[in-house]
Amino acid sequence: MPQPSRSANLIWLGLLAAAVLIPYLFGALTGQPEAGLSGLAAWRSAAADAYCARGVTPLVWLHVGGVAGLAALTLAGRRLGALGAALAGARGWYLAALAALIALPFLTAAVTDSSACSRGQAFFWQAIFVDVFILAILAISYNLMFGFVGVVSFGHAAFFGLGAYSVGLLMEHLAWPWWGAVLGSLAISVVIALIKGFVGLRIRGLYFALFTLAFAQVFFLLAGNRLLVDITGAEDGFTFAVPDFLNMTRNRLFFYYLGLAAMVFAFLVVQQLMRSPTGRVLVAVRDNEGRAQMLGYNTFHFKLIAIILAGVLAGGAGVLRGLALKGASPEVLGLDFTMTPLIMTLVGGQATFAGPVLGAFGLHLLEDFLRDTVVTVAGVSINIGERWALILGVIFILIVIVFPYGIVGTVQNQWRKRRARRASTPS
Amino acid sequence: MRQTLRVNVFRQSLILSGLFVLGLLALNLAVFRPGTVAVVMLSGLYQGMLFFLIAAGMSIVFGLLDVLNLAQGAFFMLGAYAGFAIYGALPAGTPIEVRFLAALVGATLTGGLAGALMEIGLLRPLYARPVYQIVMTLGLSTAINEVVRAIYGPAGLVPIEEPPALATTFNILGGQFETYRLFIIFVGAALMVGISLLLQRTRLGIIIRAGVQDSEMVQALGINVRRIFTLVFALGTAVAALGGMTAAPFLGAYPGMGTDFLLVAIIVIVIGGMSSYEGTAIASLLVGLTRATAEQVSLQYFNTPILASVSILLFMVAVLLVRPTGLFGRE
Repeated sequence: MPQPSRSANLIWLGLLAAAVLIPYLFGALTGQPEAGLSGLAAWRSAAADAYCARGVTPLVWLHVGGVAGLAALTLAGRRLGALGAALAGARGWYLAALAALIALPFLTAAVTDSSACSRGQAFFWQAIFVDVFILAILAISYNLMFGFVGVVSFGHAAFFGLGAYSVGLLMEHLAWPWWGAVLGSLAISVVIALIKGFVGLRIRGLYFALFTLAFAQVFFLLAGNRLLVDITGAEDGFTFAVPDFLNMTRNRLFFYYLGLAAMVFAFLVVQQLMRSPTGRVLVAVRDNEGRAQMLGYNTFHFKLIAIILAGVLAGGAGVLRGLALKGASPEVLGLDFTMTPLIMTLVGGQATFAGPVLGAFGLHLLEDFLRDTVVTVAGVSINIGERWALILGVIFILIVIVFPYGIVGTVQNQWRKRRARRASTPS
Repeated sequence: MRQTLRVNVFRQSLILSGLFVLGLLALNLAVFRPGTVAVVMLSGLYQGMLFFLIAAGMSIVFGLLDVLNLAQGAFFMLGAYAGFAIYGALPAGTPIEVRFLAALVGATLTGGLAGALMEIGLLRPLYARPVYQIVMTLGLSTAINEVVRAIYGPAGLVPIEEPPALATTFNILGGQFETYRLFIIFVGAALMVGISLLLQRTRLGIIIRAGVQDSEMVQALGINVRRIFTLVFALGTAVAALGGMTAAPFLGAYPGMGTDFLLVAIIVIVIGGMSSYEGTAIASLLVGLTRATAEQVSLQYFNTPILASVSILLFMVAVLLVRPTGLFGRE
């Protein structure tokens, strides 16, 4: 694979910045600065006007155009010179997808004829996508351990749930400021990862998986028990107040972009890690640990790095979840939040970058679309929302037997095959 | 040299387990009245036997096939539901003893049949891909749970009546213990000995034990290992289903009942050392006794049974730290 040049990187960054900034500029320029407002306030109110308008505004067209343009550039690829070449391939698709997600709140607002920043259909969809982003981060983190390093963990929910619990407990009981609570929760994730690493990584393979399962289950049981009811609210969980700008009920558009940014950050962190020399060693550890040790690598340290990073990412996802719901209950520590990222990773494709994200989007959106759908098969009507767990179970089995590389893995294999065929036939 | 070393480790673990049980007993005697101690010990045994019924199959299957069957809990639940169905389907005049026995036999057969189908249909294609097997059994477990929930509803069924002869309690050192739970202890002990005899004294047992050591070699000797795999798998699920049915008179049947037991069964086989049958048998009793003691202690001091679940998890972590492959496991 040819390495992209530095100038291509600059173009890439420039386009992304433009995609993010253009709406702001547009909002500011089209609004009428009111008399008496300072420059910044005028800018802000104008942007708010442009954002919150109902229906199909010029802003929407701008977004649609931007996304379509990026997609076209990606498709046209190398034929279009430097710009096209920089966008060709996976990078262009990532960028187009990101632009689409940036545009999404306004597109849903336009389609459903509601405002992107007040109660309505668009608001509802933003909440669903915030969930998707959080799950995607969790799946990315799971994939780092499971796909890239080959360490099976059945206790990922411990990171996620403790993130959600600790951010709330620190803010509610110790009255820490929000940033302190967030940093504190991430620090707790690191501590948990260190414990898991130092204690658990001595144990191999399946034993480690079951060790992590037990580890997570301890927290699940403690969180749900009446013993700590004053602190955790036992099985009902607890709620806490969050600062206004993080309040998802009111400032949902902000939270949407916060979640999106966090997901992109997690994606880039894992991508950069796996493309670095450290990442190569991690893959080597997965494929043949003994050989990696023979070559002089301390594989324990490398696995520790991976588990800490995965822990922080999953903990961060938990923090977001806690802040989004303004509360936490024992279910975030339960087996579901280990199984969900596992199946998302498998559906999307393990050991691929886009796989877990695609899996999270696909499965969660499917669940939401089908929530109230009733299908009648052979005289038996089935409410899909109620039977979602059953469908997930069947997907599990089908994926494992029929589709072992997931969506992204299968597509990549097809590409590789086609390229090999093209290379072998003389042109 | 190696052999003696392993025998030594085995003996060491055996002594450790014995000391642990004595320690538990001493703790009990120090804290509770004799009647309570007796009840705690018996209830530890009966819990241990239930755990054994699920864990035995998992452990043998893991040793032979290298598959951790996470659907075992679902078979436990399936046994309970199958038992209920048979119990209810028999004509009204049938005596309870007959119904109960029919339910036990029927549940065991159902479990065995379902297990055989699962092994042939779903597991066979996956022997080359270990991680996927776990994921598949997990998915299957969810699917079975949900199908049962869809058919019988989420609420669960009211426990069935046990035979009148077993529906009494008896007095032991001033404590009251249910006869039916004693019956479970007997069923468990009988199976424990029975399976052990099967493994040690029959031709099938020799093949299974050889397969645990090296299944390719067994195949090379002209034995149809595939058929043995299916048989062993079905045996494991049948025992789990029997366990579910024996638990039904006081647990009833509800979706997810298997998952609770599955987690404990996993702990049991990890403590015992994954593929060791003796280890599983001993570990299930240790776990049962630990759980019962912790339950009683925490009920007395904290007024909640929280320690029951936490104690066995900590027990497992402690064992893994001392012996990373479990008490009786191989390196």
